[in-house]
Amino acid sequence: MAHEAEHQPLGVFECQLCSLTAPYSYVGQKPPNTQSIILLEESFVTKDPFTPDKDRFLVLGSRCSVCSRLVCVGPECSLFYSKRFCLPCVQENVHAFPQEIRHDLEKRKVPWKRPASQPSTQA
Amino acid sequence: MPPPRTREHRGHWDRPRAPSGEEAPEKWDWNCPETRSLFEDAFFQDEDYIRQGSEECQKFWTFFERLQRFQHLKTTRKEEKDPGQPKHSIPALADLPRTYDPRYRINLSVLGPDTRGSRRPGRRLPPERVSEFRRALLHYLDFGQKQAFGRLAKLQRERAALPIAQYGQRILKTLKEHQVVVVAGDTGCGKSTQVPQYLLAAGFSHVACTQPRRIACISLAKRVGFESLSQYGSQVGYQIRFESTRSAATKVVFLTVGLLLRQIQREPSLPQYQVLIVDEVHERHLHNDFLLGVLRRLLPQRPDLKVILMSATINISLFSSYFDNAPVVQVPGRLFPITVVYQPVEAEPTVSKSEKLDPRPFLRVLQAIDNKYPPEERGDLLVFLSGMAEISAVLEAAQTYASHTQRWVVLPLHSALSVADQDKVFDVAPPGVRKCILSTNIAETSVTIDGIRFVVDSGKVKEMSYDPQAKLQRLQEFWISQASAEQRKGRAGRTGPGVCFRLYAESDYDAFAPYAVPEIRRVALDTLVLQMKSMSVGDPRTFPFIEPPPPASLETAIRYLRDQGALDSSEALTPIGSLLAQLPVDVVIGKMLILGSMFHLAEPVLTIAAALSVQSPFTRSAQSNLECAAARRPLESDQGDPFTLFNVFNTWVQVKSERGGNSRKWCRRRGIEEHRLYEMANLRRQFKELLEDHGLLAGAQALKPGDSYSRLQQRRERRALHQLKRQHEEGGARRRKVLRLQEEQEGGSSDEDRGTAARGAGNNVDIQDVKFKLRHNLEQLQAAASSAQALTRDQLALLKLVLGRGLYPQLAVPDPFNGGRKDSDQIFHTQAKQGTVLHPTCVFASSPEVLHPKEPEARAGEGSRDDRDRMSSRHQLLTFVSLLETNKPYLVNCVRIPALQSLLLFSRALDTNGDCSRLVADGWLELQLADTEGAVRLLAASLRLRARWESALDQQLAHQARGRGQREEEEDEEEAPVNRQEVAALSRELLQFMASKVPYSLRRLTGLEAQNLYVGPQTITTAPSLPGLFGSSALSPHPTKGGYAVTDFLTYNCLTSDTDLYSDCLRTFWTCPHCGLHMPLTPLERIAHENSCPDAPRDDPAGAEEATPEPQQKTSALQRPYRCEACQKDFLFTPTEVLRHRRQHV
Repeated sequence: MAHEAEHQPLGVFECQLCSLTAPYSYVGQKPPNTQSIILLEESFVTKDPFTPDKDRFLVLGSRCSVCSRLVCVGPECSLFYSKRFCLPCVQENVHAFPQEIRHDLEKRKVPWKRPASQPSTQA
Repeated sequence: MPPPRTREHRGHWDRPRAPSGEEAPEKWDWNCPETRSLFEDAFFQDEDYIRQGSEECQKFWTFFERLQRFQHLKTTRKEEKDPGQPKHSIPALADLPRTYDPRYRINLSVLGPDTRGSRRPGRRLPPERVSEFRRALLHYLDFGQKQAFGRLAKLQRERAALPIAQYGQRILKTLKEHQVVVVAGDTGCGKSTQVPQYLLAAGFSHVACTQPRRIACISLAKRVGFESLSQYGSQVGYQIRFESTRSAATKVVFLTVGLLLRQIQREPSLPQYQVLIVDEVHERHLHNDFLLGVLRRLLPQRPDLKVILMSATINISLFSSYFDNAPVVQVPGRLFPITVVYQPVEAEPTVSKSEKLDPRPFLRVLQAIDNKYPPEERGDLLVFLSGMAEISAVLEAAQTYASHTQRWVVLPLHSALSVADQDKVFDVAPPGVRKCILSTNIAETSVTIDGIRFVVDSGKVKEMSYDPQAKLQRLQEFWISQASAEQRKGRAGRTGPGVCFRLYAESDYDAFAPYAVPEIRRVALDTLVLQMKSMSVGDPRTFPFIEPPPPASLETAIRYLRDQGALDSSEALTPIGSLLAQLPVDVVIGKMLILGSMFHLAEPVLTIAAALSVQSPFTRSAQSNLECAAARRPLESDQGDPFTLFNVFNTWVQVKSERGGNSRKWCRRRGIEEHRLYEMANLRRQFKELLEDHGLLAGAQALKPGDSYSRLQQRRERRALHQLKRQHEEGGARRRKVLRLQEEQEGGSSDEDRGTAARGAGNNVDIQDVKFKLRHNLEQLQAAASSAQALTRDQLALLKLVLGRGLYPQLAVPDPFNGGRKDSDQIFHTQAKQGTVLHPTCVFASSPEVLHPKEPEARAGEGSRDDRDRMSSRHQLLTFVSLLETNKPYLVNCVRIPALQSLLLFSRALDTNGDCSRLVADGWLELQLADTEGAVRLLAASLRLRARWESALDQQLAHQARGRGQREEEEDEEEAPVNRQEVAALSRELLQFMASKVPYSLRRLTGLEAQNLYVGPQTITTAPSLPGLFGSSALSPHPTKGGYAVTDFLTYNCLTSDTDLYSDCLRTFWTCPHCGLHMPLTPLERIAHENSCPDAPRDDPAGAEEATPEPQQKTSALQRPYRCEACQKDFLFTPTEVLRHRRQHV
């Protein structure tokens, strides 16, 4: 099928903080097959694996705009506030962020920690 | 990188706004459908992310409403002023928006209607509302992203948390260094789902993973596809007998062991795979054991092929040492502590004397759980019982208990349930209620149910055992092995600490065998031996099995195959044998197919063979249901069960082909499990393709071209079906539902309609029906079905002949006193087993009178002979498909056949006395014929017919062998395998033969009689001077029986006899009608003369004089009286005709 070819993985995305891995099929701000949506950061994107709809995409992650680490969009690893920031960088510069974000971070009891069960590097 | 400039960041007018009443002069109503549709027109067009009218669109509006409510609550939030903060030194942080807005936390943006081309209708919408809408949309999309990413992360966390995750690298490393690796881990360690994924991630792309069960192939392929994020891709697939999702892009395929063996049969070196995972080797299935042997031989020839054996931690050293001490990677299971409670069942006075299982010990456990554990503490109960009867016994009692307490939902689980009913065990119980699953050992390894906290282990299992002597399958109850007991216990500790109640003593446990007996030691080995022969793996006796089968059952199998003509005297595969080896069915059913195709009865035989190869479609619960029984009755055939199945299938096809015919309902009303009929259809098609492949059946006729309109119509219908199927698939897998308390009290499976309606997500599509119509050519099937129902009496008789010959020697003779017994007490004897009974579903169990010889014409002899030796020309035998012993030995799937004629045609040993009035078939059935002359004629006729039948069959097989050799060469398509005329003549004569009416008595010999049957080798050999009595064959003395061997099956005059020694010397004068010879002759001499008389007409179908051929009426044996209420008339109709007739009135 024509669509499937477009979703051929380009490589494997791996979060440098939590080691989450997933194949990605697009990097950029305009995911394939969508016209009306623009991503506000250079993102690693895959086809949404949980729906048969071939046009659905899923943003896996992007680079931290401070330290350029490749991080996933999971709330344990990064946040987006007009740009992507990895949580370690947010922690370091927490005062640069508005109160709401600081609140949010505090609410997370474990502000930033690698997941308890550190998976080995295998897929 | 700076945020891209989009409209989102331009104006401040689309900042959050407190929606308030006074702000909007005109009433703005988001709930107004017109408003919504305006926005949908603007934003949700075909090329957009969300499409108008889709499910997604509905979801969005729901989300929208929630968001609106939420924002309403938060209207009091002040905008935070952040006065005079110094600019940050890090550039990325320097230009963060000063004023917080949740929208800045969303990493995507939606283009407004005005930026997407002028044709969008959104320009007229009020900008305020547009921004409100866009904002909601943005949050919606962000929410969707978070949700999907959450699932992905969860999936990875779960995978990483599996015990096997720590061992992935080690497995891959070991595999690099060794050709074979054993991965041993208990259920729940994740080996079956993870190891294939490790291989995928390591770059392997030709991985096969075998499973003992088809269902596991499907579920694993789904699971692994999901986990490897290619749920909707094709890199993970499965391949089972009738279904495949495999494509060129497939990297990992799950397939059954049987299928892999067939692939090896085709390409012995398995070039299509890099890695082979053999899962569940510890289960020791017949085919798995064989596969291991095959692989052990293959490995040296394929040094690049890697093999992973996966096993529970049971007897690992056996597998490792079998493969040259292959390394073992042992993975600890993830088990929580389990408390074991031994609660041996004390012998208590049972309620009734019946053999029914006492449910009380099981109820006590339910009670104990209710008393000890508060209902808020979740955790379900899994009960292991030995079989279906035990399950229903406990089910009944437990449901009564459950309806009192309202704290349990009781569900049965066994393989005979429909898939939908099996799936119910995965549903969740409502709060405060526990599931109680009553299961066979299917839940021990093959089905894993989450949330089990309590296990009750009865300690028993019912297993098929095989008695090679009696060719009898026995379903017997055994104590389980320690390994099984541990497996069962382990089921309680998968999600948390659990409790296992063992209804036996600890000392019993200690006495259990450590491991279960492997299948190879307890089943018939016919099909295995046949497969081994066709794969040329050498002598089965010396094949290096991991544990060899008992030599006796191997010998039995070889002898059986020789008897069936599949192996020749040197144990090499015969042409029929190599064909049988390719048919995935029992040898007898394979034979039926071959014989049927010869007599141009392929269509009906295909259906019957398929019907006999699947589980009975009749549901157990319907047996006691009078309505079902009555609805089924018109489908019953008094010829025998295979014909009933035949009617069921054909009528079902007719129902399906009717417009709007609801076959599901039709089946339910008759207590028929429709799933089995689908299986039959699939199997039938596979058989047909096999026969076509082997040139036994003319290839599929090109469809009638038809007019372009009907072609178009057909194409349109198919497209619609495909559409339905796709929709169904996109609807995703069945979601777990919450079980209803009441629901199960009704009996578990009676609510299919409700269930499927709920599952079909609104549209009540029968997806099985859709798949069926896509897979099969309904028109062709229907044509076959209706022609089948118009079978003439002759065709029916031939069909029975084919069945009889296929099933031979599976024969049973009615007990002589059956006439005086109750319907349910009819007794039958097979050669090896006395006192078998009819299965309750058998048609003869309800109408045994059709088996009784009707007109007692004469009594043989006086005084000494008793009632048993009744003379009749209508004695009948039962031929059956299998003999199954549960609490009684049951004959399964019986057909009645005329005794004398069948024995003459099929027996492997026929022994006669001097005047042929006494015959003994296969050393156990005695036939006494009143009329010597008639006897000899019949015997002679049967010899000729057998010879001709044999040669026709040989031609047929030779043709197929030739056909395979020159498949591509232009072959005369018109040329039928065997000369049509010849077959027609043969069929005609066979029919005449079958219809011959000769009075005789039929008796099963006693053991003593059978021992002293033969006169033994004679010193004085006086060859009878009876030239031509049995054709041209020369007579030679039989070395053991005495008498003379006429053919390889017929021995003349070898029976000891207490009758007058001189009887064969009594001559009477006789005149030959052909040559006029007139002299005193014994009956034998007379026949000998007739056969050799030079003036006798050549093509005389001898032996058929007495036959009164049935009038060639076109009436079908399936017709039944039918009274139509609509037109108040009586008819004689087949079930199809009834349907057709009824349609007129609609």
